[in-house]
Amino acid sequence: MSIPNPGRIEPVLWDDWHPVAELAALRHGRRLDTGLLGRPLTVTLRADGAIDACSGPHALPHLDTRYGFVWACLGAPVRDIVKFAAADEPDRIPVTGGSMAVAASGLRAVENFLDLGHLGYVHQGYLGEEPHTDIKPYTVGPREGGGIRATGCRVYQPRPSPADTSGYEVDYIYEVHRPYIVVLYKANPVDRTRMDLIALLLQPVSEESCVAHSFMSYPPHDVNEKSVRGFQQLIFGQDRPILENQLPKRLPLDAKAEISVRADSSSAHYRRWLSQLGVRFGAIPQAPA
Amino acid sequence: MIRLYDHELSGNCYKVRLLLSLLGEQYERVPVDLHPIRENRTAWFLALNPHGQVPVLDDSGFVLCESNAILVYLASRPGVPDQWYPRNDVQALGRTARWLEFATRLSGIISAARNHDLMQEQADIGALRSKARSLLRVLDEHLWFTEQAGRGWLAGEAPGVADVACFPWVMLSGEGGIDRLPWPAIARWTDRVKRLPGFVPMSGVFPASPGL
Amino acid sequence: MNRWFAVARGTEVPRRHVGHYLLLGQELAVWRSDSGAINAWENRCPHRGVRLTLGSCEGEELRCRYHAWRFASVSGQCTLIPAHPGQKPASTVRVRVFAAVEHDGFIWVNLAQGESPTAPTRVAHVLDSTRSIFVDAPLYAVRETLLDGYPVDSTASRLAVWSKDAYCLSAGNPDHAALVTFLLQPVTDFQTVIHGALHTTVEETARLARLRRHNAAMGTVRDEAERRAAAATGGGATA
Ligand SMILES: N[C@@H](CCC(=O)N[C@@H](CS)C(=O)NCC(=O)O)C(=O)O
Ligand code: FES
Ligand SMILES: [Fe+2]
Repeated sequence: MSIPNPGRIEPVLWDDWHPVAELAALRHGRRLDTGLLGRPLTVTLRADGAIDACSGPHALPHLDTRYGFVWACLGAPVRDIVKFAAADEPDRIPVTGGSMAVAASGLRAVENFLDLGHLGYVHQGYLGEEPHTDIKPYTVGPREGGGIRATGCRVYQPRPSPADTSGYEVDYIYEVHRPYIVVLYKANPVDRTRMDLIALLLQPVSEESCVAHSFMSYPPHDVNEKSVRGFQQLIFGQDRPILENQLPKRLPLDAKAEISVRADSSSAHYRRWLSQLGVRFGAIPQAPA
Repeated sequence: MIRLYDHELSGNCYKVRLLLSLLGEQYERVPVDLHPIRENRTAWFLALNPHGQVPVLDDSGFVLCESNAILVYLASRPGVPDQWYPRNDVQALGRTARWLEFATRLSGIISAARNHDLMQEQADIGALRSKARSLLRVLDEHLWFTEQAGRGWLAGEAPGVADVACFPWVMLSGEGGIDRLPWPAIARWTDRVKRLPGFVPMSGVFPASPGL
Repeated sequence: MNRWFAVARGTEVPRRHVGHYLLLGQELAVWRSDSGAINAWENRCPHRGVRLTLGSCEGEELRCRYHAWRFASVSGQCTLIPAHPGQKPASTVRVRVFAAVEHDGFIWVNLAQGESPTAPTRVAHVLDSTRSIFVDAPLYAVRETLLDGYPVDSTASRLAVWSKDAYCLSAGNPDHAALVTFLLQPVTDFQTVIHGALHTTVEETARLARLRRHNAAMGTVRDEAERRAAAATGGGATA
């Protein structure tokens, strides 16, 4: 039986998979009361290891796990859960970075993740620092398989990862795979021919709230799971108050709603792509022309 | 050698990091993973603190839990200026104890509200926010009259552990959905704390611009 | 609405501090530049909408927390975009600013845009002021409660609405020789701030006691107004 969709949420979201819980957090026998696309959602780990999820009286028909998270689809899945090719390389080490609820649209969180200009300020001393604040031109275009891709992003970082104690100019690639799924690749500090993968998986709870789950995948060089997770929580903890203090809480898709500069090229492409895709949940749609 | 068992996002750990930094103290941070693997519930950590909570301080083998106790200990060591824990001024000492108690009330309520908003934990969030509001009102009133009397700090003429104990939880109240707009005297006091030499922020707390 | 409201005591907005205020539902970032100019700005950065009260005051400019764009005192014009430090920001990149002045010990704000705002009503001889009180009740309920029996210093005096300004209640004539004047700030439709101006002086030793007495009396007004407002909306009223 399918879940009622009285709000007529667009199929591109309703019929897709979304992360709803971190497995490691469920393991402690906790019943998690959360939400998805405006519907209540309860996720429980049964004694036999099976996972139950229901929305009100309705059991969720489509439930699965990947990358250490439970994923759910409320409608009829039209495609598989997101897959990051690099994460499948056999020698990679997967790490989950935890889940944090945020009182802002998940689309704002995706945009923050893509944003280069804030690294030297919000993450000062870690992911950027004055006077290295200018953002050099980078390239944004469609991603093969859907979404958008930004390449050639270079930023000077004093402490790009917990494994680094000295700074250098870091290369980034960003990919938005789905409206609420974004991933970045940055050169591994030990083996700079390989890329670390950091994905931000947003659970759209309501139009103005989300849970940010993060997933990382590293080449096998001295990965200390605990420090990686701690670093991720520190960085996201810096972003959270920014996200919660953005007005409006939903992401405006109209290009004139907020002023953009060249450094915001990823954001501008992202907003345009969301418009073309017809995403409304968590967004303020473009005014009709 | 001082070692702090610590978590970046913990307000109670931040109290201790803040005081250590204000005192210009070198120390080693040992991160304890609270989410999701709950390292604080493992045998090795419970041996250190049977309550299973951070922060825990280890000063060359002297182990102490409870953030307020740690503040009092750190500020009472020989060589630390008297202002931080005014043990020679009974009234300032009494006021210090009073505001340490206040910090405990505040942290209980604000951490529950914050865990609700941040970690999706169950709570009667309306009741928590209204209790937090009553506490912040008391704090704002106290700070306003303190300013009128020509002072700027919770317990005495100079900043002390009382300020350090309250500051993190006041700053983190926003993360529990508690609005500080009605409390301008609190906002001025948080600016003063942020301008103390040696101030350090935590994730979710931003530094102030240099004062005049 | 071309009308001035007191939002804060002047001394409560020191230099290098960004105050967060609300007036008629409009969020404001209020700050004083090093050279003394009072700014009351829409609390929203034109770049990505972050509240400017998260930012910091850097002398003659306010710096946004998110990407550190800088905005000039008085005009709100953006002066620096650190992502493109060599480029001069377009003249369209500016924060929305409101008219603000400091008069009689208070900071007054007028939300009218476009029309040239008239001067605020002057409250003569403000010699001290009380702690401002935030009330979870609409302005009319606060005004009513104050009029119903605020304990002014001398037993003979009562508060009355001032003929020049319906948001202003006074015991005595505020043009001269009043005892106390309350300036009401409509925060939202459901919230009000009471600012109190005192028109007489007392010795420094008696001053704090007097301020405490007013603070306690205004607190009683707050509790009563909140009770009345809750009863009026039928929501969770407790007798
Ligand atoms: N009263 C203690 C409270 C410490 C506390 O609440 N610690 C939290 C982090 S802020 C913690 O370790 N929580 C994990 C748990 O309680 O399981 C203190 O002030 O140190
Ligand atoms: S949001 Fe203010 S500078 Fe970007
Ligand atoms: Fe960020």
